[in-house]
Order: sequence, then structure tokens, then C-alpha cells
Amino acid sequence: MEGLFFNVNGGYVEGIVRGYRNSLLSGQNYSNLTQCETIDDVKLQLAPSYGDFLASLSPNPSTSDLASRMTDKLVAEFKYLIAQATGSSAKFLEYMTYGYMIDNIALLITGTLHERDTRELLERCHPLGWFETLPVLCVATNIEELYNSVLIETPLAAYFKGSLSHQDLDELNIEIVRNTLYKNYLEDFYNFINTHPDFSGTPTQDVMAEILQFEADRRSINITLNSFGTELSKLERRKLYPEFGNLYPEGSLMLSRADDVEGVALAVSAVADYKAFFDAVGLSQGGGGLGGMGGGPADGKSLEDLFYQKEMDLSKLVFTRQFTPAVVYAWMKLKEQEIRNVTWISECIAQNQKERIGNFISVF
Amino acid sequence: MSGAVGREAVFPTRQSLGLMKNKLKGAEIGHSLLKRKSEALTKRFRDITRRIDEAKQKMGRVMQIAAFSLAEVSYAVGGDIGYQIQESAKQARFRVRTKQENISGVLLPTFESYTQEGVNDFGLTGLGKGGQQIQRCRETYARAVETLVELASLQTAFLILDEVIKVVNRRDINSELDELDREEFYRLKKVSGKKKRDVAAADAEILAARQKAEQEQAENPKEPAATATAIFAKEEETTDVLGEQEDNDVIF
Repeated sequence: MEGLFFNVNGGYVEGIVRGYRNSLLSGQNYSNLTQCETIDDVKLQLAPSYGDFLASLSPNPSTSDLASRMTDKLVAEFKYLIAQATGSSAKFLEYMTYGYMIDNIALLITGTLHERDTRELLERCHPLGWFETLPVLCVATNIEELYNSVLIETPLAAYFKGSLSHQDLDELNIEIVRNTLYKNYLEDFYNFINTHPDFSGTPTQDVMAEILQFEADRRSINITLNSFGTELSKLERRKLYPEFGNLYPEGSLMLSRADDVEGVALAVSAVADYKAFFDAVGLSQGGGGLGGMGGGPADGKSLEDLFYQKEMDLSKLVFTRQFTPAVVYAWMKLKEQEIRNVTWISECIAQNQKERIGNFISVF
Repeated sequence: MSGAVGREAVFPTRQSLGLMKNKLKGAEIGHSLLKRKSEALTKRFRDITRRIDEAKQKMGRVMQIAAFSLAEVSYAVGGDIGYQIQESAKQARFRVRTKQENISGVLLPTFESYTQEGVNDFGLTGLGKGGQQIQRCRETYARAVETLVELASLQTAFLILDEVIKVVNRRDINSELDELDREEFYRLKKVSGKKKRDVAAADAEILAARQKAEQEQAENPKEPAATATAIFAKEEETTDVLGEQEDNDVIF
């Protein structure tokens, strides 16, 4: 049923994205890239898919320059898509940018706390997380002002409301603020795709629910793992877990009680995928040492790598579905991974450390 | 060189002989002590040079690893975290304290690095993703800075020792005087050599000038006659040639 009228509004955007998808680097491209001797060679190899955007780079550019140009292209393409999208699709695309907005706001809050010139902070903001009232944040000189008069006007106001007060902004670690916002954002996004009349019961709901659940689980697991050995209390930690996902509620509860890596492994063991990841990197109890892996991670992959791999697999599968703006989300994730891959490869080339150059995730 | 000139004006009595003997003994002991000190310092100096070489090579390796671990972080986090880290760091975790080391009376400052446990300002950075990589990167960089501190400590010691060794060697009066003497002698030799050469050159010049002047003076009075003879001779020559040519013509 959803296929009947989707193309009236969303067909063009979807078509464009499928075109974009075809310009993603393939395994063949990657193997060419890994053969390169200099960054200039890398630039040359990227020319078919990045063309104009790399043209203005100086000879032998730094890897960060290269990455920022590639991001520029992603941004330009996404901006085109969001300009073309209408109705619920446009709303969906807007939701995608909120994640970047959270990062930008966290950056500006950090800057304001340290009384930096916020204007120079604006240059560091991610262009996708740009919204009209973002420069207004610069006007605020203290946190209370920032909270009362500025943040309220941003699209993220809802995520602040109810969970963070202006005192929190002052006292809490910015990372906690960021992760609280992100949790609220993920929950809101999840709610949006499940309840919006245009999306519920469509492929969008199917695929996005799966992706977002995975994202939520990944965040919970990462937060738990990264909080070991820091001053983050278990109670605070628990507040940062998104309240949905494959692990919610039992897994989350167990995660919140975990004291060490083995506790985390136990908490996630109910979900086959995550259990497999933990087994693969040898973090689960008795898994690594006995399995003949010599205690080291399997083929040099970290848990983070495996999560990325899983995310890419999910994103790739999205393209098997039709009549959904979820392809834009998937394309974006794939593109970001591609930029990370190229940065990694060029970094390996620049630093002449080729033994780990293959440590990227090629999707197609 | 300074034998007769440098002789001390001593009154030849038994008392002053004893005094002089004591003086000589003291000077000899002082000399040998200084010599030993200088040797100890030199030994240390060589040791430090070798360790600097090692530290520099180690630094190269460590910095490379550290830079690579930063690349890992940017891969895992997928962005630049530099700003965030800079802003959230409030207290120094990695600190340096100075100590003094005594090497035969020379105080050498040495830097010692230590980490202040419990200071972990950006422990939560990358909570959502990349946290482990960031912590790992931090450890690698801490090791890199450790190497740098070690190198700095060695280099400071190197500079100070270099200076001190020079001073100690200078205080070795005898050798210094000898050296000075040698230098002075050489300088004098050089100067006199140069002077001799200059004088010879000047003499030759003067002699040449004088001879020329004399000659000129001798020539001056009979100048017209000389020119006349010269012209005459020339004319004669020319005619001679012509005559010969004519002769030749005749022959042909």
C-alpha cells in the first residue's frame, strides 16, 4: 500500500540516493587505494567519485584536509537531498541532522564554559548540524543565559527539557550532557518512525527500527565499557542508556550493574549477535584464551570495528527495500564509513605503517 | 721559554725552601685531584652522549607509534576530538620533578617524570564511541612524553657537563700554561716569520726602486743623445732590411 503513493513525493529523493550509492567505493577501489604510495596517488584514485571536491587540494595534502573535503561532498549531497524532500521525508531527514546538532551544541557549551570566543567555535561545527539559530548561541556569554534564551529556541530544546537543567550544564561533565541528549534523541527518533502515520507499518519502520535498536545497544555497551575506571557512577551511567533496543530492559539492567568487561559480556549474551562479537574479540569469560586465539583479538579487529561492520551490513540491507527515506540514512552511514576508511588508508600511507592498512571496512 | 723570566724571587733560606716544598706538594695533589675529576666528568660525559643517542632513536620510534594511535582514534571516533580534549583538560596528569645528581662535585639537574594518579580530566571523552581508543592513545602519548623528558634531562646534563669539563681542564694550571706558552710561541713565530717576510719584501722593493731611480738618474742627462742613437739605429735597421730585399730581388 505504501508503494502506491510514495513516489509522488519521495521518488525523486530515493532515486538520487540510489545513484549516490553507486558512486560509493567498491572493494576494487579499496584494493587500489591500499596500493598507493603517496597521498597524491590516493587523490588520483578518488578522482572518479570525488572529482571536483579534491581538485583544489594542494599537492600531497594532509589526511585531515582530505577527510574534510570528502565530508564537504557528503554535506553538499545531503543538502541537495534535504532541499528536495517534502513532507514526512523531509522531517525524517531533519531527524538525521539532530545527531550532528548535539555534537555542535556540546562543542559550543564547552566553549562557553571556558569563555572562548564562540565565533571561532562556529568554524569547528559540523556543517550538517547547522541550524539557523546556531550562531545565536554565540551571543550567550554564560551558561544560564545560554540555557534560558537560546537552547529553548533550538530544535533540540525538547531533549534538554526534563532531563537537564542549566545547573547541570555547568556542573556535569560535557560528555554526560552529550550522551543524555543523544539518548533522548535516539528515543525520539525511534518514537517518530514507529508512530508517524506515514511510516508506521512501512518498510521505513522495519529497517529503521532495526538500525536504531542496534544504535541504542551499541551506545549502551560502549558507554558501559568506557565508563570503567572513571568517576561515572552506576546510577548516572544507567540514565544514559536509551530505553529501547534489543537489550532493553533486562540487558540494560544487567549492563548498569556490570563492574567489568565480563559483566558486560554476560549482559549482552542474550543477543546472539553481540555475544558473537564479544566471543570474537575474546572479551567474554573464558572465550578468548581457550578458543585458541592466543588471547588477542581475532584478526586485529576490535569490538568497535565489529560494531561498525554490523552497522554497515544493516545499512547495506536497507537498499534492498523500496519506498522509504531510510535509504538516505543508510547512504549517509555508508558514506561516513567510507570517509573513515579513506582517512585510515591515507593515514597508514602517510605514516608508512602499511601492516595494518587493511583494517578498514569495505562494504560493496 | 719562561725559564729565567718566570723565576720567582725567593730569598734563599731554609725556611723558604720548606715553604716552597710544601707549595709544590699542594700543587701536585691539587693537580692530580683535578685530573681525576676531569676524568670522571669525561667518563660521565661520554656515557651521556651514548644515552642521548639511544634516547633520540627511541623517541623516533615512540613518536611514530603515538602518531599512529592518534590515527586510530580519528578512525574510531570519526572526527576531530582535539578541541574537546584541550578544553576538558584542567589539571596536569603527567608531571615532571627535578632532582640533582652529584657527580664529583658537579650538580646535574635531572628531570623525572611521574603521573599524578587520579587526575583524569577527559576520562569520559568518547563515552559513546571510541573511548577505549582515546585512552590507549593517551597512554601511548604519555610514553612519548616520558621519552622526551628523559631526552631533555640528558641534554641539559650534556650542556652543563660540557661547560664544567672545560672549566675543570682550564684549572689544570700547568697544562693551561703550557698551552698558552705554546700558543704564544707559535704566535710569536708566526709574527716574526711574517715580519721577516714583510721586511724582505719591503727591502726588495726599496732596492728595486732605488736601482731604478739611480738608473733613471744616470740616464736622464744624456737622454737626447740616447734617443738620437736609438732613432739612428732604427733607421739603419730599416735600410738594412730594404737593402736585403733589394738584394733578394736582384738574386731572383
